[in-house]
Amino acid sequence: MAGEGVVTVDGRPIPEAPDLPRMHRDRMDRLQEQLAAQELAGLVLLWPSAVSYATGAHSPGADSGRAGLFRPVAVVVAGDAAPHLFTPYPEGAPPGLPADHLHPPAFPDLADGAAALAAALAELVPKGRVAIDELPHPLRAALAGRDLVPAASVMAPVKLRKTADELACIRVAQRCNELAMCDVMPLLRPGVRQTELSSVFLDRLYELGDVSNGIDPIWQPMPQCIAAGPWTTHGDVAFPTGSTGEVLRHGDVIWCDTGIHYEGYASDFGRTWLVGADPTPRQLSQYRRWQEVTDSVLAVCKPGATALDLDRAAIATNGGKKPWIEHFYLSHGVGTDSAEMPLIGTDLGEAFDEQQVLAPGMILVLEPVIWEDGYGGYRAEDIYTVTDDGWASLSDFPYDPFTRGDAA
Amino acid sequence: MTGLLAQQESGRVDMVALRADRRGRMFAAMEAHGLDALVLGRPANITFASGARQLWTAGARPFGPGCLVLAATGQVHLLSVWDEGIPPEIPHANLFGLKWNPVNLLTEIAAIPGVRTTRRVGTDSFGPGFEHFLAGFAPEAELVDATAAMTDARRSKSADEVALIERAIAIAETALTAMEDAAEPGASERDLLRAYLASIAQQGCTTPPTEGIVCATPRSGPVVLRRLPSERRLGPGQLVALNPGALYAGYEGGVGRTIGVEGVSPAASDLAARCRDALDSVIDRCRVGARGADLRTEGADVLIYGLGLGAEPPLIGSGGGADAELVGGMVLSVQAWAGREGTGGVLLRDVVHVVDGTPRVLSRYRSTLV
Repeated sequence: MAGEGVVTVDGRPIPEAPDLPRMHRDRMDRLQEQLAAQELAGLVLLWPSAVSYATGAHSPGADSGRAGLFRPVAVVVAGDAAPHLFTPYPEGAPPGLPADHLHPPAFPDLADGAAALAAALAELVPKGRVAIDELPHPLRAALAGRDLVPAASVMAPVKLRKTADELACIRVAQRCNELAMCDVMPLLRPGVRQTELSSVFLDRLYELGDVSNGIDPIWQPMPQCIAAGPWTTHGDVAFPTGSTGEVLRHGDVIWCDTGIHYEGYASDFGRTWLVGADPTPRQLSQYRRWQEVTDSVLAVCKPGATALDLDRAAIATNGGKKPWIEHFYLSHGVGTDSAEMPLIGTDLGEAFDEQQVLAPGMILVLEPVIWEDGYGGYRAEDIYTVTDDGWASLSDFPYDPFTRGDAA
Repeated sequence: MTGLLAQQESGRVDMVALRADRRGRMFAAMEAHGLDALVLGRPANITFASGARQLWTAGARPFGPGCLVLAATGQVHLLSVWDEGIPPEIPHANLFGLKWNPVNLLTEIAAIPGVRTTRRVGTDSFGPGFEHFLAGFAPEAELVDATAAMTDARRSKSADEVALIERAIAIAETALTAMEDAAEPGASERDLLRAYLASIAQQGCTTPPTEGIVCATPRSGPVVLRRLPSERRLGPGQLVALNPGALYAGYEGGVGRTIGVEGVSPAASDLAARCRDALDSVIDRCRVGARGADLRTEGADVLIYGLGLGAEPPLIGSGGGADAELVGGMVLSVQAWAGREGTGGVLLRDVVHVVDGTPRVLSRYRSTLV
């Protein structure tokens, strides 16, 4: 059966621990392949997820404003085996990076920094077309006259299918995330505050190893009826709304959602929890429906299937109704971005999904939602990868309190 | 418990008035820069324009249209599926939903009243191809740089904004005490990071401005300031730089001090005194009209940046900012770092309010190395 036995991706088993130098080499090979195929002279990357992919560099977790002002920048030159890294955090450069590829920080959001980066680029990539992901206005001015195209044409194909080492990184991230959630679960009693749960989560997470938090943890008490609010643009459920110091009460249905990073790769943890209560028969039936939907999607998940096949399986199992939230999806990928391609079930439409053909190394974070207005709903998410002959799970966390005592 | 207050101040500062003041400054800057519309993607700019409590994620966000501001209608439009955390002055009609299909996003934005007739649209960043997206909802518009307009609106803080920054500083000072308590021989840099994160979270602020807040400096060999907390363990006599920050209602504060683990050598005290003198001399020069080039010192490496809704320009130090000019009302993070082989390194940071005359130092924490 799919999902059991030795699983391989492109003939390689997923290792317990990633071989980081090999992973860095493989990623650079893919980038160079795209640069050559698209006749690009170079690639300039400002987005953290892209810099991380191209260089393997670490930087401290930070608020967006700080992270932008003090951002690492990567420059990939066509034909060069190593990336150039401009960083305020040289201690985060990967061990194998040649010394002449490590540069002082670039500050492309400021006029003097942008001019310096443009000058450096003129030396590294004197001519030819360059792909770039973002142009803060100072950099846009400094690069006026250069032939620039969006970097998405390079980054989207290289990130779509993960190598076995990338899958190992995602699994390590997910494992740390799950272990930290183990410490949070017992605290879910009446009177606990959302921020207290976050505090315990973060404390355990940073004890576990060289990982970093990616999102302010979500502990959202769900209403029974959509009409109870919050109001939404589309009339569907509001999720995920941010945490405050809100006190959780007996019987609250909590949809939690957390995500962390390991070696740049994101985890994604989602479960439905109950505060100080056992599930009602209705809640149990919602969970069972969720499990049926997930099982039906996995049953058709293998290389060659289309994303539309997955949509259809989920909808058929849910009695013809789409089992996911209007503004989200049935499934999304995860990698150095917490949500990336393949996105399945979005407003990109059925024709788009029909063209998305599953292949080994693609990631599916399945997150069906079962909602019965008037009775609330069940949501959980798990990470799967498409393997050479089916799928494998990269998550390993129980569905308590919905399965407590079950042999399953 | 500050938990309930952490993200939405409801006590000392009138947030309704604060948001109205920010909007007034934003519309004035739009007028001064001749902008019909703003398209904002940077979370801090979106907070400044809208007051919305956004979901916090670590790291810089890619640019995309998260907020539109129209001069003609005086309205702020926001990408938000729900009204949770959205101030009441932004009506439901001004919210537009999350779309994965750019065509659908374009349709939503194009339907905003008044957007199609705008002639000069400023954005806070840009990507190749964004001009085509703009043409889809504002066909007549010229796309221009709104960085200067947003800087003008944001850089001089109101008294209420300074009050929020001071609350953030107090949270960081509390975290500094927790870090000091955790700095025992054998503890690692990451243990101190944990103590810091636990402290700010217990105060209701779960999101750090940065995790780069602790550096155990070496007693031998070259001394450099690292910002990635590691498993390095603290040893007796070692100098450890502690540099926590906090975000309160979106505003950032911080404080930096260096401690000696189990005692301080005369050489370390001497280095600390030199670093303190250097910092004080720079702080004293943080006056209206000063330029970056005026804010250097012999005794230490100086790093200065603006504080408001997170870190912001100007950035002075790290090889840049010589021409940056200080204006009244700015709040600055002013940091000095001095390292000496055989002794270690000392980092000191204070938060400074640029006012007429002598600068106001907003952070308060004892000297730890004298």
